[in-house]
Amino acid sequence: MKLFIQSAKLISKHSEFHNQVIDLYINNGKIEAIGNNLTPPEKVNIYTHNNLHISAGWLDLGANFSDPGNEHKETIESGINAAAKGGFTAVAISPATEPPIDNKSIVQYVKNKANGAIVDLLPMGAISKGIHGIELAELFDMYETGAVAFTDGKASVQNPNLLKTALLYCKAFDGLVINYADHKDLSHKGMMHEGEKSMHLGLKGIPALAEEIIVNRDLYLLEYTEGKIHFSTLSTAKSVELIKEAKKKGLRVTADVSAAHLLIDDSYLDEFDTRFKVQPPFRDKSHIKALIKGLKDKTIDVITSNHVPEDIEAKKREFDHAAFGIINLQTAFGAANTALKGKLELEEIIEKLADNPRRVLGLEPIQIKEGEMANLTLFSPEENWKLEKSDIASKSKNSPFIGMELIGKPLGIINHNQIVYS
Amino acid sequence: MEKLSTRHLLGIKNLTRKDIELIFNTADNFKEIINRPIKKVPSLRDTTIANLFFENSTRTKLSFELAEKRLSADVVNFSASGSSVSKGETLIDTVNNILAMKVDVVVMRHPNPGAAVFLSKNINASIVNAGDGTHEHPTQGLLDAFSIREKYGDLSGKKIVIVGDIAHSRVALSNIYCLQKLGAKVKVCGPPTLIPKYISSLGVEVEYNLDRAIAWCDVAMMLRIQLERQTNVSEGNQVKLFPSLREYANMYGLTAERLNRLDHKITIMHPGPINRGVEITSEVADSEHSIILNQVENGVAVRMAVLYLLSGREF
Repeated sequence: MKLFIQSAKLISKHSEFHNQVIDLYINNGKIEAIGNNLTPPEKVNIYTHNNLHISAGWLDLGANFSDPGNEHKETIESGINAAAKGGFTAVAISPATEPPIDNKSIVQYVKNKANGAIVDLLPMGAISKGIHGIELAELFDMYETGAVAFTDGKASVQNPNLLKTALLYCKAFDGLVINYADHKDLSHKGMMHEGEKSMHLGLKGIPALAEEIIVNRDLYLLEYTEGKIHFSTLSTAKSVELIKEAKKKGLRVTADVSAAHLLIDDSYLDEFDTRFKVQPPFRDKSHIKALIKGLKDKTIDVITSNHVPEDIEAKKREFDHAAFGIINLQTAFGAANTALKGKLELEEIIEKLADNPRRVLGLEPIQIKEGEMANLTLFSPEENWKLEKSDIASKSKNSPFIGMELIGKPLGIINHNQIVYS
Repeated sequence: MEKLSTRHLLGIKNLTRKDIELIFNTADNFKEIINRPIKKVPSLRDTTIANLFFENSTRTKLSFELAEKRLSADVVNFSASGSSVSKGETLIDTVNNILAMKVDVVVMRHPNPGAAVFLSKNINASIVNAGDGTHEHPTQGLLDAFSIREKYGDLSGKKIVIVGDIAHSRVALSNIYCLQKLGAKVKVCGPPTLIPKYISSLGVEVEYNLDRAIAWCDVAMMLRIQLERQTNVSEGNQVKLFPSLREYANMYGLTAERLNRLDHKITIMHPGPINRGVEITSEVADSEHSIILNQVENGVAVRMAVLYLLSGREF
């Protein structure tokens, strides 16, 4: 396959063409030529777009594909389609499937199912057997089979001894432990961010405290074990402060934030709209401000989709009974870019989608230069657009962004000698 | 005919002061009617009302049913425990089934906050929220304010303290909104574990000491201590929010002795059912300053007014 990308602004700090408008010729999956004003070879598909931008392929650190077990919500195939439409050339998927990804055969199942796809699927293994939070799963076995990190997904590890053990055990092979910070006794039966809004609605709140206490505890365990930890979907101001301090101390800690949580606050829940019921809960504006500051000062390394497909039966219910979660692979960039416009440079946003997630997982950064395999995302950062329900590639349609104006649109991806372009 | 600004009664929060006054003026007429020898009027003839109670309730259900029957509406009743709904049939299916039988108005009590809002967005009938978890219970808020108005003529500047389990009350928010819209000053009083952290954002003051609270107020609204809040600790590591009923009664129980220490008389209210000897002693509940039974009587008149106004019928 021969592709020619014409007049695209390259966003890649590793490249000599960073921030320049370039042409790019890709032959058989490999970057054959890169430069200004190249002449397209004959019989080549030319791709261009108003204000086209190009960067290293994005990697999502936190999506759930519900496969195996809940294929009516998402399959690996539909998840890959959604990722491709969202500009992601790689996705690290949550082990919270049924059965969970807690042994090497399920790691293998996921890998096999995604074999040959344009999007690289990077399975994350469970920390505990069955995600029950009791016994350590066979982490090394899964690591050898290709698990890129270990997490119990949204089932935050409650037992400090289990987390300590996981952190220590992973040191043998420099494995990465990821925890979602949520103290279950404090967030018990909580439905939304605890604040003025939850009080007005009579909904039980999830206090910021429930997250911060676990972040704090985990940082103590990290210091003790001298291991490596990543926090997924931080949502509160104090969590950001705690991690900033820990990084200053030199602890091996990284963190991500969900893109939607940069844009949506708890006022969206006014009408008990279950599309906005999500874990962590959408917080108030002061927390959002702190998250954005944390992204700017590099306390928060990565922006994720926090993609959790749920079918309509799970969502169209009384608020207390509705499932948590939103789909967000297709809108992650739009949401983040809309929220961060004028606050972060575009290259800082792209760094948190492309380079940093790879660094967190210990993967090599993608080089955009002649002779390298093309692993690229094409996007238009100034374009206004709205997600229509008919555009959703996921099997589930639980997006809070349907009909909401976003700035910045992913246009397509190139990977493994394949292209998805809309 | 004057009309309400809304098609549903989901909460007091979205009512205007004019709405509330219209409901009160209409309730005045109905109260006069229900004290006649013939208590029934034909106002809602051919209107079908479904009372859906997904949670136990005795007096609210009775009060609504009486209001509906005195307006000559056709009434159907449905009761189910919240748990059977959460296990199988969804709320929306249950209600659609009932609506398929051509119901004009739905009165619903449900354990989950927002259930009435959910219903109003998904079905085509007027919804009256008869309590949705810890969110709102608007007709109770209205009848409480109506009862204070009846005693004092006007709520403007009146000092009202709400005492007890504010955090788990189905009526506290409705009371606060309603009283404030009518110009009253509101304080809440109770153990800090039963007072929502962000309550002061509503413009109410918090007082932890009952004696100070009743020394300040004109009216004390005593809330029922829900015994299940105190004992349901089986899940996870959840803890009781106060150590014992005995200690609660000592700290927050309204007794004649406490009232006798005041230099002024205050009015005592309670939405029922009363735990006699816990939040209020029998002596106080049955005293001349208690308007607890007036609240019950006014409940029927206020609910008649709400149903009548929502139906949009002319006299």
